[in-house]
Amino acid sequence: MLRTVYLKSLRDRWLGAVIAVASLFAIAWMGLWAYADMGDEATDFISQMPEAYLSLLGITSDSGVAGLMLSNMFNFLGPFVIAGLGISMGAAAIAGEEAAGTMNVLGAMPRSRARLLRSKALAAATIVLVAGVAASASYVVAAALAGADVGSMDLAAATVHMLVVCLMFGSLSLALGAWTGNRALASGVGVGLVVLSFLASGLLPLFDGVASWAKASPWYWISGSQPMTTGIDWAPLVVLLAVTAVFVGTAWWGLVRRDLGAGAARAPILERLREDPRLGRIGAMLAGSASTRGIATKALTDLRPFLVVAGGAMLLQALVLGPLFSAMQRSAVNIGEVVDSMPESILAMVGFADFSTAEGWYFGELMTIVAPVAVAVIAINAGAALASEEKRRTVSVLATMPVSRRSLAIRKAAAIAVGSLVAGVALFAGVAGGSAIAGLGMDVAHIAAAGVLLAGLGTLLGSVAFVAGAVTGRVNVAIGASTGVAVLGWGINSFVPVNPDLADWARVSLFYYYAAGNPLEIGLTWWHLAVLVGVSAALVAVGVAAYSRRDLRG
Amino acid sequence: MTPTPVIEVDRLTKKFGRFTAVDDVSFAIHPGEIFGFLGPNGAGKSTTIRAILDLIRPTSGACRVLGLDSRRDAVEIHRRIGFLPSDLALWPSLTGRQTVEYLGGLRGGVDWTRVGELSERLGADLSRKVGEYSSGNRQKLGIVLAFMHSPRAVILDEPITGLDPLVQLEFHTLIREMADAGGTVFLSSHTISEVERVADRVAFIRRGHLIAVEQMAELQDKALRRITLEFGAPVPERAFRGIAGVHEVTVDGPTVAAQYEGSMAPLLAVATAHDVLSVSSASVDLDEIFLEFYRDEVEAAGDDRTTAGGRDGRVA
Repeated sequence: MLRTVYLKSLRDRWLGAVIAVASLFAIAWMGLWAYADMGDEATDFISQMPEAYLSLLGITSDSGVAGLMLSNMFNFLGPFVIAGLGISMGAAAIAGEEAAGTMNVLGAMPRSRARLLRSKALAAATIVLVAGVAASASYVVAAALAGADVGSMDLAAATVHMLVVCLMFGSLSLALGAWTGNRALASGVGVGLVVLSFLASGLLPLFDGVASWAKASPWYWISGSQPMTTGIDWAPLVVLLAVTAVFVGTAWWGLVRRDLGAGAARAPILERLREDPRLGRIGAMLAGSASTRGIATKALTDLRPFLVVAGGAMLLQALVLGPLFSAMQRSAVNIGEVVDSMPESILAMVGFADFSTAEGWYFGELMTIVAPVAVAVIAINAGAALASEEKRRTVSVLATMPVSRRSLAIRKAAAIAVGSLVAGVALFAGVAGGSAIAGLGMDVAHIAAAGVLLAGLGTLLGSVAFVAGAVTGRVNVAIGASTGVAVLGWGINSFVPVNPDLADWARVSLFYYYAAGNPLEIGLTWWHLAVLVGVSAALVAVGVAAYSRRDLRG
Repeated sequence: MTPTPVIEVDRLTKKFGRFTAVDDVSFAIHPGEIFGFLGPNGAGKSTTIRAILDLIRPTSGACRVLGLDSRRDAVEIHRRIGFLPSDLALWPSLTGRQTVEYLGGLRGGVDWTRVGELSERLGADLSRKVGEYSSGNRQKLGIVLAFMHSPRAVILDEPITGLDPLVQLEFHTLIREMADAGGTVFLSSHTISEVERVADRVAFIRRGHLIAVEQMAELQDKALRRITLEFGAPVPERAFRGIAGVHEVTVDGPTVAAQYEGSMAPLLAVATAHDVLSVSSASVDLDEIFLEFYRDEVEAAGDDRTTAGGRDGRVA
């Protein structure tokens, strides 16, 4: 192993990992605190919950409210965050050095590529393992702070299961990055597979006949064997670790055989793919050719890959969810019945929508997580674009054109609103389409309201990125601040309202103004939209003023 | 009476925190001039340029271009001048042609005839993506971008970086043509030979301090030359003291080395009184001229470690 490479990779990533763990801790603590305050009342509700529902969450009825919150952390939020760290590091391990042009220096050192790969891979594994263990430890601290009892749950086993799955996803991105030299491709495919795997493990078990297929999804093994109650199930873990080893081996095999990329130039394998007329056309369609008509249109076309991937994924999922809902209503295992059998207050407590109606189903399956993530990816990228001109130093050329700083910043900000609106339209088109295909008869005006509010949410998140980037000129600050606001806001809005005494506090979260009352059921609440748009406008104004006043970087 | 300066830097000071990058710098550049801006890396050249272009804002002092204030009238200034940044960065996913379209669009339109002429002269290939360019090709595109709207003045920061010698020559012809037609060229460089070859006037900056501004022709007139004389026998040092135009005489046995300016005659008159075996002479380059003529200013700027330890400590 190359000690300096290993240590530098850790140094580059430790802050991100600390922020990730701190966010997970904050959400866990917030949730546990809100639940714990409810006392015996909550425990009684839990014990009334149907066994099938508890088994889906991987907890026993006596683990209480803390069990609910912790299974949320272990089976949902935690693995997304920790796998995200692994994918990001795995994808950047080799391909990141190539994109930055630093591979020219690193590759010319008297050290083999195999050792370089090994050092980078070990650094990624270290971050994943330490962050995962620290996150689990922080949940115990959060539980103690909130006065919740977690004694009956095997958190160590849950941690091991989660970490093995996260390592596997990280190693996949490592292999892709090492083979292609393309970091975007490696992390994009990694994240795509995480989402697919998550959806497969959550949706497939709802259907007879295909239920066992869920076991082919790596995500299933985070909680599928219920490690929190039954301990570690070694057989699937050994299989997953073997797959991880194969990916690492594949990474090595690919890396030692190919030409290394230098700087922005494309890696040879992609060049060959691009030269293939059929594949090249698909690639060009996806990336598009950037518009050179002006700053705003170029900013928008720069977003096209995100619009196509994030907006397209949301649209497709929305289309599929409609027929899925009517299929489920006909099937023997009717989740509507399962949900119906729960006390009303339980539903409110866990923040789950009423899955028995089409509006509730779409809200729970699409609008709580997938749509906000999709619009956030688009809008945050649009918001950070102003700062990224400074990072790439192209601002020296752009800001010396006869366009004022103010106008330059406003035109960049316009792409946030337009990009978010495109995401809103995709949500509308998907839900309206899904409803029409399945004949669910949902109110079109209410669907439009959901789309508009999603656009408002995106605009606000993008504006946070914009103002942070405009003030500091740093892309990582822009992305970090807006992602932090998104995660915290989501956490507050999801977990604080479960305690009726604290419900009003949800209003400090921007998610409240997007989701409160489920717009698919109640339509547009005008003042919620006004809050989202008004705060966005104020943030953009502050950003524009700051950008006009300060020294530009680069 | 001198005409209104095209570029005027007036007591410019720029501090970054406690570090002073540019300290009370003033100079003016006039129409038809190629103005060389010479200094080592980190001397404050790019900081000065970025302040003229309103990319950064002066801590004190002001910059004016074509009589316009660099802060208040930045947009109008940008419209009338061309700029090539040092270590040029462009958008890797755009082709050269798309880059011209994009930035030309922001200027209100592209004169493709002019772009065609410039590309042909420099051998710039606009068809490929910028990300696939070599640094030389990217630099050629940068020159096209700086000149494509026939600006009245251009500011060029290290323009010949990465260009091969033939293209450098063509580029220098280009800026000479521009100056001859009444245009103004502000050429920042750490390459002495480039400034020597093309500049009409040259400013020398060091550690944020402007050491001097000189006409190139005058500078070359009073340029120091170095002479080494070999004598048949050791000669006394005092024989070479006080000769008109002679600086820094060193005597090492029968070898005498001296720097002189102007005519060689007074020195030769003294030398021929002794038994001269050989004479060799060489000109001193621009950097040494400055160091020689402006030793005090250079030392005051903190360049000499022995005299400016305290300043070093403060700057760091």
